[in-house]
Amino acid sequence: MTDPKTQTGSRQDEFEFFEESNALWWITLAPTTWAVHFVLAYGGTAVWCAKFGETQGVTVARLSIAGLTVLALGFIGWLGWRSVRRWKPRQNDMEDLSHPEGRHEFLGHAAFLLCIISAIGVVYVAMPALFITTCR
Amino acid sequence: MIRSLAGSGRRLVAMALMMALAGCAGRQSALSPAGEDASWLHDLWIVMLVGAVILWTALNGLFFFVTRVRPNDWPERHANRLIIGGGVIFPTVLVGTLLAYGLSMMPHMRADGDGLVVKVRAEEWWWRVEYWPAGATAPIVTANEIRLPTGQRTELLLDANKYIHSFWVPALGGKMDMFPGRETRMTLRPETPGVYRGQCAEFCGPSHALMAFEAVILTPGDFAAWLEAEAAPAAPPATPEAQRGQTLFRDEGCGACHAVRGTEFDGLVGPDLTHLASRQSLGAGIMEVTREDLTDWIAHTRDIKPEVAMPAYDWLEAAELADLAAYLEGLK
Ligand code: HEC
Ligand SMILES: [Cu+2]
Repeated sequence: MTDPKTQTGSRQDEFEFFEESNALWWITLAPTTWAVHFVLAYGGTAVWCAKFGETQGVTVARLSIAGLTVLALGFIGWLGWRSVRRWKPRQNDMEDLSHPEGRHEFLGHAAFLLCIISAIGVVYVAMPALFITTCR
Repeated sequence: MIRSLAGSGRRLVAMALMMALAGCAGRQSALSPAGEDASWLHDLWIVMLVGAVILWTALNGLFFFVTRVRPNDWPERHANRLIIGGGVIFPTVLVGTLLAYGLSMMPHMRADGDGLVVKVRAEEWWWRVEYWPAGATAPIVTANEIRLPTGQRTELLLDANKYIHSFWVPALGGKMDMFPGRETRMTLRPETPGVYRGQCAEFCGPSHALMAFEAVILTPGDFAAWLEAEAAPAAPPATPEAQRGQTLFRDEGCGACHAVRGTEFDGLVGPDLTHLASRQSLGAGIMEVTREDLTDWIAHTRDIKPEVAMPAYDWLEAAELADLAAYLEGLK
Protein backbone atom coordinates (compact mmCIF):
# COMPACT_ATOMS: atom_id res chain seq x y z
CA MET A 1 0.00 0.00 0.00
CA THR A 2 1.26 3.46 -0.80
CA ASP A 3 1.55 6.06 1.89
CA PRO A 4 -1.23 8.61 1.35
CA LYS A 5 1.08 11.40 2.58
CA THR A 6 3.14 11.06 -0.63
CA GLN A 7 0.14 11.33 -2.93
CA THR A 8 -0.69 14.52 -4.78
CA GLY A 9 -2.66 17.19 -2.92
CA SER A 10 -6.17 16.43 -4.10
CA ARG A 11 -5.86 12.67 -3.58
CA GLN A 12 -4.57 13.29 -0.12
CA ASP A 13 -7.54 15.55 0.63
CA GLU A 14 -9.84 12.87 -0.66
CA PHE A 15 -8.26 10.30 1.58
CA GLU A 16 -8.51 12.54 4.64
CA PHE A 17 -12.08 13.31 3.80
CA PHE A 18 -12.82 9.60 3.58
CA GLU A 19 -11.08 9.00 6.91
CA GLU A 20 -12.84 11.77 8.74
CA SER A 21 -16.27 10.93 7.40
CA ASN A 22 -15.61 7.45 8.74
CA ALA A 23 -14.65 8.97 12.06
CA LEU A 24 -17.92 10.89 12.05
CA TRP A 25 -19.72 7.55 11.78
CA TRP A 26 -17.43 6.24 14.46
CA ILE A 27 -18.51 8.81 17.04
CA THR A 28 -22.18 7.84 16.58
CA LEU A 29 -21.54 4.20 17.50
CA ALA A 30 -21.67 4.58 21.29
CA PRO A 31 -24.90 6.64 21.39
CA THR A 32 -26.40 4.19 18.88
CA THR A 33 -25.52 1.30 21.17
CA TRP A 34 -27.22 3.14 24.02
CA ALA A 35 -30.33 3.71 21.85
CA VAL A 36 -30.49 0.09 20.69
CA HIS A 37 -30.04 -1.14 24.27
CA PHE A 38 -32.87 1.18 25.36
CA VAL A 39 -35.26 -0.01 22.65
CA LEU A 40 -34.49 -3.69 23.23
CA ALA A 41 -34.77 -3.40 27.02
CA TYR A 42 -38.03 -1.47 27.10
CA GLY A 43 -39.63 -2.91 23.96
CA GLY A 44 -38.54 -6.45 24.82
CA THR A 45 -39.94 -6.20 28.34
CA ALA A 46 -43.23 -4.77 27.06
CA VAL A 47 -43.63 -7.61 24.58
CA TRP A 48 -42.54 -10.26 27.09
CA CYS A 49 -44.96 -8.99 29.75
CA ALA A 50 -47.83 -8.75 27.30
CA LYS A 51 -47.30 -12.29 25.99
CA PHE A 52 -45.89 -14.29 28.91
CA GLY A 53 -45.98 -12.01 31.96
CA GLU A 54 -49.13 -13.53 33.45
CA THR A 55 -47.79 -17.07 33.51
CA GLN A 56 -44.01 -16.77 33.66
CA GLY A 57 -43.26 -13.54 35.50
CA VAL A 58 -40.55 -11.19 34.44
CA THR A 59 -37.37 -13.11 35.33
CA VAL A 60 -36.45 -13.98 31.76
CA ALA A 61 -36.82 -10.35 30.71
CA ARG A 62 -34.68 -9.18 33.64
CA LEU A 63 -31.92 -11.70 32.86
CA SER A 64 -32.02 -10.71 29.18
CA ILE A 65 -31.60 -7.07 30.15
CA ALA A 66 -28.64 -8.03 32.34
CA GLY A 67 -27.07 -9.87 29.39
CA LEU A 68 -27.77 -7.01 26.96
CA THR A 69 -26.29 -4.55 29.43
CA VAL A 70 -23.05 -6.52 29.76
CA LEU A 71 -22.81 -6.73 25.96
CA ALA A 72 -23.54 -3.03 25.48
CA LEU A 73 -21.07 -1.94 28.17
CA GLY A 74 -18.41 -4.27 26.75
CA PHE A 75 -18.85 -2.84 23.26
CA ILE A 76 -18.86 0.76 24.52
CA GLY A 77 -15.73 -0.01 26.59
CA TRP A 78 -13.98 -1.28 23.46
CA LEU A 79 -15.10 1.80 21.50
CA GLY A 80 -13.82 4.00 24.30
CA TRP A 81 -10.44 2.34 24.28
CA ARG A 82 -10.12 2.72 20.49
CA SER A 83 -11.21 6.36 20.76
CA VAL A 84 -8.52 7.14 23.33
CA ARG A 85 -5.97 5.68 20.94
CA ARG A 86 -7.14 8.10 18.25
CA TRP A 87 -7.14 10.99 20.64
CA LYS A 88 -3.60 10.26 21.99
CA PRO A 89 -4.07 12.43 25.08
CA ARG A 90 -0.42 12.15 26.07
CA GLN A 91 0.78 13.68 22.81
CA ASN A 92 -1.96 16.31 22.37
CA ASP A 93 -3.18 18.97 24.69
CA MET A 94 -6.54 20.70 24.27
CA GLU A 95 -4.92 23.43 22.19
CA ASP A 96 -3.80 20.91 19.53
CA LEU A 97 -7.34 19.59 19.21
CA SER A 98 -8.70 23.00 18.30
CA HIS A 99 -6.75 23.24 15.00
CA PRO A 100 -7.80 21.67 11.71
CA GLU A 101 -4.69 19.46 11.82
CA GLY A 102 -5.96 18.00 15.08
CA ARG A 103 -9.28 16.96 13.56
CA HIS A 104 -8.54 13.27 13.79
CA GLU A 105 -7.54 13.50 17.45
CA PHE A 106 -10.46 15.83 18.18
CA LEU A 107 -12.91 13.26 16.83
CA GLY A 108 -11.26 10.61 19.00
CA HIS A 109 -11.70 12.85 22.00
CA ALA A 110 -15.37 13.54 21.17
CA ALA A 111 -16.02 9.82 20.61
CA PHE A 112 -14.47 9.06 23.99
CA LEU A 113 -16.74 11.57 25.77
CA LEU A 114 -19.76 10.10 23.99
CA CYS A 115 -18.69 6.65 25.18
CA ILE A 116 -18.78 7.89 28.78
CA ILE A 117 -22.25 9.40 28.53
CA SER A 118 -23.54 6.33 26.65
CA ALA A 119 -22.20 3.98 29.31
CA ILE A 120 -23.94 6.04 32.01
CA GLY A 121 -27.13 6.00 29.91
CA VAL A 122 -26.99 2.22 29.51
CA VAL A 123 -26.58 1.73 33.27
CA TYR A 124 -29.50 4.05 34.08
CA VAL A 125 -31.71 2.36 31.47
CA ALA A 126 -30.95 -1.04 32.99
CA MET A 127 -31.47 -0.04 36.63
CA PRO A 128 -35.27 -0.57 36.78
CA ALA A 129 -34.67 -4.25 35.94
CA LEU A 130 -32.66 -4.48 39.15
CA PHE A 131 -35.56 -3.35 41.32
CA ILE A 132 -38.79 -4.27 39.60
CA THR A 133 -39.73 -7.90 40.08
CA THR A 134 -43.16 -8.14 38.49
CA CYS A 135 -44.75 -7.23 35.18
CA ARG A 136 -47.30 -4.98 36.89
CA MET B 1 -39.13 55.18 58.96
CA ILE B 2 -36.47 52.61 58.12
CA ARG B 3 -37.37 50.60 61.17
CA SER B 4 -41.05 50.56 60.39
CA LEU B 5 -40.25 49.55 56.81
CA ALA B 6 -38.09 46.69 58.05
CA GLY B 7 -40.88 45.74 60.45
CA SER B 8 -43.54 45.60 57.77
CA GLY B 9 -41.12 43.77 55.48
CA ARG B 10 -40.65 41.14 58.15
CA ARG B 11 -44.39 40.91 58.66
CA LEU B 12 -44.86 40.48 54.91
CA VAL B 13 -42.32 37.67 54.78
CA ALA B 14 -43.95 35.99 57.78
CA MET B 15 -47.35 36.27 56.14
CA ALA B 16 -46.11 34.90 52.81
CA LEU B 17 -44.47 32.00 54.63
CA MET B 18 -47.64 31.26 56.56
CA MET B 19 -49.70 31.29 53.39
CA ALA B 20 -47.21 29.07 51.61
CA LEU B 21 -47.19 26.59 54.48
CA ALA B 22 -50.98 26.65 54.78
CA GLY B 23 -51.09 25.69 51.10
CA CYS B 24 -49.11 22.55 51.94
CA ALA B 25 -51.49 21.26 54.60
CA GLY B 26 -55.01 20.06 54.10
CA ARG B 27 -57.03 17.18 52.78
CA GLN B 28 -55.80 17.31 49.21
CA SER B 29 -52.10 17.57 49.82
CA ALA B 30 -49.31 15.13 49.11
CA LEU B 31 -47.49 16.88 51.96
CA SER B 32 -49.97 15.74 54.61
CA PRO B 33 -49.87 12.01 53.98
CA ALA B 34 -52.64 9.84 55.44
CA GLY B 35 -51.41 6.50 54.12
CA GLU B 36 -48.33 4.38 53.68
CA ASP B 37 -47.90 5.09 49.96
CA ALA B 38 -48.29 8.83 50.43
CA SER B 39 -45.70 8.74 53.24
CA TRP B 40 -43.18 7.15 50.90
CA LEU B 41 -43.87 9.76 48.24
CA HIS B 42 -43.61 12.46 50.87
CA ASP B 43 -40.17 11.19 51.91
CA LEU B 44 -39.12 10.93 48.29
CA TRP B 45 -40.21 14.51 47.73
CA ILE B 46 -38.25 15.77 50.74
CA VAL B 47 -35.12 13.88 49.68
CA MET B 48 -35.38 15.24 46.13
CA LEU B 49 -35.99 18.76 47.41
CA VAL B 50 -33.00 18.67 49.75
CA GLY B 51 -30.87 17.19 46.96
CA ALA B 52 -32.00 19.93 44.57
CA VAL B 53 -31.32 22.69 47.09
CA ILE B 54 -27.83 21.36 47.75
CA LEU B 55 -27.08 21.09 44.04
CA TRP B 56 -28.45 24.55 43.31
CA THR B 57 -26.50 26.15 46.13
CA ALA B 58 -23.29 24.34 45.30
CA LEU B 59 -23.48 25.17 41.59
CA ASN B 60 -24.28 28.84 42.15
CA GLY B 61 -21.66 28.99 44.89
CA LEU B 62 -19.18 27.68 42.38
CA PHE B 63 -20.19 30.29 39.81
CA PHE B 64 -19.80 32.96 42.45
CA PHE B 65 -16.42 31.59 43.47
CA VAL B 66 -14.93 31.47 39.98
CA THR B 67 -16.36 34.84 38.87
CA ARG B 68 -16.00 36.92 42.03
CA VAL B 69 -13.77 35.30 44.62
CA ARG B 70 -11.08 33.87 42.34
CA PRO B 71 -11.64 35.25 38.86
CA ASN B 72 -7.99 34.66 37.82
CA ASP B 73 -6.82 31.71 35.68
CA TRP B 74 -6.79 28.25 37.16
CA PRO B 75 -3.97 25.79 36.68
CA GLU B 76 -5.19 23.28 34.12
CA ARG B 77 -4.75 20.36 36.50
CA HIS B 78 -7.11 21.90 39.07
CA ALA B 79 -9.64 22.92 36.45
CA ASN B 80 -9.67 19.40 34.99
CA ARG B 81 -10.10 17.87 38.40
CA LEU B 82 -13.02 20.20 39.13
CA ILE B 83 -14.72 19.46 35.82
CA ILE B 84 -14.29 15.69 36.04
CA GLY B 85 -15.11 15.46 39.73
CA GLY B 86 -17.85 18.07 39.96
CA GLY B 87 -19.22 17.83 36.43
CA VAL B 88 -19.09 14.12 35.70
CA ILE B 89 -18.59 11.89 38.72
CA PHE B 90 -20.61 13.81 41.32
CA PRO B 91 -23.82 14.29 39.27
CA THR B 92 -23.64 10.73 37.90
CA VAL B 93 -23.39 9.24 41.36
CA LEU B 94 -25.99 11.62 42.84
CA VAL B 95 -28.56 11.08 40.08
CA GLY B 96 -27.85 7.34 40.13
CA THR B 97 -28.43 7.22 43.89
CA LEU B 98 -31.68 9.18 43.64
CA LEU B 99 -32.80 6.90 40.80
CA ALA B 100 -32.05 3.80 42.86
CA TYR B 101 -33.87 5.28 45.86
CA GLY B 102 -36.93 6.13 43.77
CA LEU B 103 -36.93 2.75 42.01
CA SER B 104 -36.64 0.89 45.31
CA MET B 105 -40.09 2.23 46.25
CA MET B 106 -41.87 0.94 43.18
CA PRO B 107 -42.22 -2.73 44.19
CA HIS B 108 -44.11 -1.70 47.36
CA MET B 109 -46.60 0.29 45.36
CA ARG B 110 -47.23 -2.71 43.14
CA ALA B 111 -47.68 -4.99 46.13
CA ASP B 112 -50.64 -7.38 46.20
CA GLY B 113 -53.88 -6.26 47.79
CA ASP B 114 -55.17 -7.86 51.01
CA GLY B 115 -58.51 -8.91 49.51
CA LEU B 116 -60.77 -5.95 48.83
CA VAL B 117 -60.84 -4.81 45.20
CA VAL B 118 -62.34 -1.47 44.16
CA LYS B 119 -62.99 -0.88 40.47
CA VAL B 120 -63.27 2.70 39.33
CA ARG B 121 -64.30 3.75 35.84
CA ALA B 122 -63.92 7.38 34.82
CA GLU B 123 -67.00 8.65 32.97
CA GLU B 124 -67.81 12.08 31.53
CA TRP B 125 -67.32 13.68 34.15
CA TRP B 126 -67.84 11.45 37.12
CA TRP B 127 -66.67 8.19 38.71
CA ARG B 128 -68.42 4.81 38.55
CA VAL B 129 -67.34 2.72 41.54
CA GLU B 130 -67.67 -1.00 42.32
CA TYR B 131 -66.65 -2.76 45.53
CA TRP B 132 -65.59 -6.39 45.25
CA PRO B 133 -64.87 -7.75 48.75
CA ALA B 134 -62.75 -10.94 48.82
CA GLY B 135 -64.83 -13.80 47.40
CA ALA B 136 -67.64 -11.60 46.06
CA THR B 137 -69.48 -12.80 42.96
CA ALA B 138 -71.31 -9.52 42.30
CA PRO B 139 -70.15 -5.98 43.04
CA ILE B 140 -71.63 -3.37 45.36
CA VAL B 141 -72.18 -0.41 43.04
CA THR B 142 -71.90 3.25 43.96
CA ALA B 143 -70.42 6.45 42.52
CA ASN B 144 -68.42 9.62 43.07
CA GLU B 145 -66.89 8.57 46.35
CA ILE B 146 -64.21 6.10 47.45
CA ARG B 147 -64.28 4.56 50.89
CA LEU B 148 -61.35 2.49 52.09
CA PRO B 149 -60.45 0.77 55.36
CA THR B 150 -57.28 1.63 57.29
CA GLY B 151 -54.48 -0.86 57.90
CA GLN B 152 -54.95 -2.98 54.80
CA ARG B 153 -53.92 -2.79 51.20
CA THR B 154 -56.83 -2.30 48.81
CA GLU B 155 -56.41 -3.04 45.14
CA LEU B 156 -57.78 -0.42 42.73
CA LEU B 157 -58.52 -1.45 39.16
CA LEU B 158 -59.00 1.57 36.95
CA ASP B 159 -60.28 2.23 33.47
CA ALA B 160 -62.26 4.85 31.58
CA ASN B 161 -65.30 5.10 29.37
CA LYS B 162 -64.35 7.48 26.59
CA TYR B 163 -61.42 9.77 27.40
CA ILE B 164 -58.18 9.44 29.31
CA HIS B 165 -58.45 10.53 32.97
CA SER B 166 -56.20 10.13 35.99
CA PHE B 167 -57.01 8.94 39.48
CA TRP B 168 -55.29 10.88 42.23
CA VAL B 169 -55.86 11.23 45.97
CA PRO B 170 -52.70 13.09 46.98
CA ALA B 171 -53.12 12.32 50.68
CA LEU B 172 -53.25 8.59 49.99
CA GLY B 173 -50.77 7.88 47.24
CA GLY B 174 -49.55 8.36 43.71
CA LYS B 175 -51.37 9.11 40.51
CA MET B 176 -52.58 6.50 38.02
CA ASP B 177 -53.91 7.17 34.54
CA MET B 178 -57.23 5.69 33.43
CA PHE B 179 -57.61 4.59 29.81
CA PRO B 180 -60.60 3.46 27.77
CA GLY B 181 -60.20 -0.24 27.08
CA ARG B 182 -57.14 -0.80 29.23
CA GLU B 183 -57.13 -1.64 32.91
CA THR B 184 -54.51 -0.04 35.14
CA ARG B 185 -53.85 -1.06 38.69
CA MET B 186 -52.61 0.45 41.91
CA THR B 187 -52.81 -0.48 45.57
CA LEU B 188 -53.29 1.85 48.53
CA ARG B 189 -52.85 1.33 52.24
CA PRO B 190 -54.49 4.23 54.13
CA GLU B 191 -53.58 4.80 57.76
CA THR B 192 -55.41 7.81 59.19
CA PRO B 193 -59.23 7.90 59.18
CA GLY B 194 -60.65 11.10 57.71
CA VAL B 195 -62.19 12.65 54.61
CA TYR B 196 -59.70 13.46 51.85
CA ARG B 197 -60.17 14.78 48.37
CA GLY B 198 -59.35 13.23 45.02
CA GLN B 199 -59.25 14.99 41.68
CA CYS B 200 -59.06 13.93 38.06
CA ALA B 201 -55.46 14.73 37.20
CA GLU B 202 -55.47 14.41 33.42
CA PHE B 203 -57.22 17.01 31.31
CA CYS B 204 -60.27 15.19 29.94
CA GLY B 205 -62.70 17.78 28.59
CA PRO B 206 -64.86 20.78 29.46
CA SER B 207 -65.73 19.60 32.99
CA HIS B 208 -62.32 18.20 33.88
CA ALA B 209 -61.81 20.69 36.73
CA LEU B 210 -65.24 19.72 38.10
CA MET B 211 -64.38 16.03 38.26
CA ALA B 212 -63.39 15.35 41.84
CA PHE B 213 -64.47 13.02 44.62
CA GLU B 214 -64.28 12.50 48.34
CA ALA B 215 -62.10 9.72 49.70
CA VAL B 216 -63.40 8.60 53.07
CA ILE B 217 -61.00 6.56 55.18
CA LEU B 218 -62.63 4.46 57.90
CA THR B 219 -61.44 2.01 60.55
CA PRO B 220 -62.01 -1.60 59.45
CA GLY B 221 -65.08 -1.89 61.72
CA ASP B 222 -66.70 1.30 60.42
CA PHE B 223 -65.85 0.29 56.89
CA ALA B 224 -67.54 -3.11 57.21
CA ALA B 225 -70.67 -1.46 58.64
CA TRP B 226 -70.72 1.12 55.84
CA LEU B 227 -70.23 -1.50 53.13
CA GLU B 228 -73.11 -3.56 54.53
CA ALA B 229 -75.37 -0.50 54.46
CA GLU B 230 -74.20 0.35 50.95
CA ALA B 231 -75.10 -3.14 49.74
CA ALA B 232 -78.68 -2.79 50.99
CA PRO B 233 -81.48 -1.58 48.68
CA ALA B 234 -82.69 2.02 48.85
CA ALA B 235 -84.94 3.25 51.64
CA PRO B 236 -88.52 3.77 50.42
CA PRO B 237 -89.75 7.38 50.45
CA ALA B 238 -90.83 8.27 54.00
CA THR B 239 -92.77 11.55 53.58
CA PRO B 240 -95.58 12.61 51.20
CA GLU B 241 -93.14 15.09 49.68
CA ALA B 242 -90.61 12.34 48.98
CA GLN B 243 -93.35 10.11 47.59
CA ARG B 244 -94.35 12.82 45.13
CA GLY B 245 -90.64 13.14 44.34
CA GLN B 246 -90.40 9.45 43.52
CA THR B 247 -93.36 9.75 41.14
CA LEU B 248 -91.71 12.71 39.44
CA PHE B 249 -88.44 10.74 39.24
CA ARG B 250 -90.38 8.11 37.30
CA ASP B 251 -92.39 10.51 35.12
CA GLU B 252 -89.47 12.73 34.18
CA GLY B 253 -87.48 9.71 33.05
CA CYS B 254 -84.68 10.08 35.63
CA GLY B 255 -84.77 6.32 36.14
CA ALA B 256 -83.75 5.70 32.53
CA CYS B 257 -80.32 7.04 33.40
CA HIS B 258 -80.05 6.44 37.15
CA ALA B 259 -80.32 3.24 39.15
CA VAL B 260 -81.95 3.18 42.57
CA ARG B 261 -81.62 -0.41 43.80
CA GLY B 262 -84.80 -1.90 45.21
CA THR B 263 -86.93 0.10 42.76
CA GLU B 264 -87.79 -0.20 39.08
CA PHE B 265 -85.15 2.45 38.28
CA ASP B 266 -82.20 0.71 36.72
CA GLY B 267 -80.59 3.19 34.31
CA LEU B 268 -76.85 2.88 33.80
CA VAL B 269 -76.01 6.14 31.99
CA GLY B 270 -75.54 8.23 35.16
CA PRO B 271 -74.36 7.59 38.72
CA ASP B 272 -76.11 5.03 40.92
CA LEU B 273 -78.26 7.03 43.37
CA THR B 274 -79.23 4.22 45.80
CA HIS B 275 -77.43 5.82 48.77
CA LEU B 276 -76.85 9.29 47.36
CA ALA B 277 -77.72 11.00 50.65
CA SER B 278 -75.00 9.18 52.56
CA ARG B 279 -72.37 10.56 50.20
CA GLN B 280 -70.21 13.52 51.19
CA SER B 281 -70.65 15.40 47.94
CA LEU B 282 -72.88 15.91 44.92
CA GLY B 283 -71.98 16.07 41.24
CA ALA B 284 -68.53 14.46 41.62
CA GLY B 285 -67.10 16.48 44.48
CA ILE B 286 -68.40 19.94 43.56
CA MET B 287 -71.53 20.46 45.74
CA GLU B 288 -73.25 19.04 48.80
CA VAL B 289 -76.28 16.79 49.16
CA THR B 290 -78.56 19.56 50.49
CA ARG B 291 -82.01 20.69 49.39
CA GLU B 292 -80.56 23.82 47.84
CA ASP B 293 -77.75 22.16 45.90
CA LEU B 294 -80.00 19.33 44.70
CA THR B 295 -82.63 21.66 43.22
CA ASP B 296 -79.87 23.78 41.73
CA TRP B 297 -78.28 20.74 40.13
CA ILE B 298 -81.49 19.34 38.67
CA ALA B 299 -82.63 22.68 37.23
CA HIS B 300 -79.28 24.02 35.98
CA THR B 301 -77.18 20.90 35.37
CA ARG B 302 -75.30 22.11 32.33
CA ASP B 303 -74.71 25.62 33.63
CA ILE B 304 -73.08 24.08 36.66
CA LYS B 305 -71.18 21.42 34.73
CA PRO B 306 -70.70 21.94 30.99
CA GLU B 307 -71.54 19.10 28.60
CA VAL B 308 -72.77 16.50 31.10
CA ALA B 309 -75.14 13.93 29.62
CA MET B 310 -77.90 14.87 32.07
CA PRO B 311 -80.35 17.47 30.69
CA ALA B 312 -81.24 20.51 32.82
CA TYR B 313 -84.84 20.21 34.08
CA ASP B 314 -85.42 23.97 34.04
CA TRP B 315 -89.13 23.63 33.22
CA LEU B 316 -89.97 22.04 36.59
CA GLU B 317 -91.81 24.19 39.18
CA ALA B 318 -89.99 25.08 42.37
CA ALA B 319 -92.33 22.79 44.30
CA GLU B 320 -91.58 19.88 41.97
CA LEU B 321 -87.85 20.43 42.31
CA ALA B 322 -88.28 20.45 46.08
CA ASP B 323 -90.18 17.15 45.93
CA LEU B 324 -87.47 15.54 43.80
CA ALA B 325 -84.81 16.82 46.20
CA ALA B 326 -86.79 15.46 49.15
CA TYR B 327 -86.87 12.03 47.52
CA LEU B 328 -83.13 12.11 46.85
CA GLU B 329 -82.36 13.36 50.38
CA GLY B 330 -84.17 10.31 51.71
CA LEU B 331 -81.82 7.92 49.83
CA LYS B 332 -79.61 7.45 52.87
C1 HEC C 1 -79.66 11.35 30.01
C2 HEC C 1 -79.36 10.71 31.26
C3 HEC C 1 -79.82 11.37 32.55
C4 HEC C 1 -81.08 11.75 32.93
C5 HEC C 1 -82.36 11.62 32.12
C6 HEC C 1 -80.96 12.25 34.26
N1 HEC C 1 -79.67 12.20 34.68
FE1 HEC C 1 -79.00 12.74 36.50
N2 HEC C 1 -77.10 12.42 35.89
C7 HEC C 1 -76.73 11.92 34.66
C8 HEC C 1 -75.29 11.94 34.56
C9 HEC C 1 -74.46 11.49 33.37
C10 HEC C 1 -74.81 12.45 35.79
C11 HEC C 1 -73.36 12.67 36.18
C12 HEC C 1 -72.96 14.07 35.80
C13 HEC C 1 -71.61 14.48 36.31
O1 HEC C 1 -71.44 14.67 37.51
O2 HEC C 1 -70.70 14.58 35.47
C14 HEC C 1 -75.98 12.71 36.60
C15 HEC C 1 -75.92 13.16 37.92
C16 HEC C 1 -77.01 13.29 38.75
C17 HEC C 1 -76.94 13.52 40.16
C18 HEC C 1 -75.66 13.64 41.00
C19 HEC C 1 -75.21 12.26 41.38
C20 HEC C 1 -74.01 12.22 42.28
O3 HEC C 1 -73.46 11.13 42.40
O4 HEC C 1 -73.59 13.22 42.82
C21 HEC C 1 -78.22 13.59 40.62
C22 HEC C 1 -78.65 13.84 42.04
C23 HEC C 1 -79.08 13.40 39.47
N3 HEC C 1 -78.31 13.20 38.35
C24 HEC C 1 -80.47 13.43 39.53
C25 HEC C 1 -81.29 13.32 38.41
C26 HEC C 1 -82.69 13.55 38.44
C27 HEC C 1 -83.49 13.90 39.67
C28 HEC C 1 -83.13 13.37 37.17
C29 HEC C 1 -84.53 13.55 36.63
C30 HEC C 1 -85.16 14.78 36.94
C31 HEC C 1 -81.98 13.00 36.36
N4 HEC C 1 -80.86 13.00 37.14
C32 HEC C 1 -82.03 12.70 35.02
C33 HEC C 1 -77.57 11.49 33.66
C34 HEC C 1 -78.93 11.68 33.66
CU1 LIG D 1 -61.34 13.36 34.05
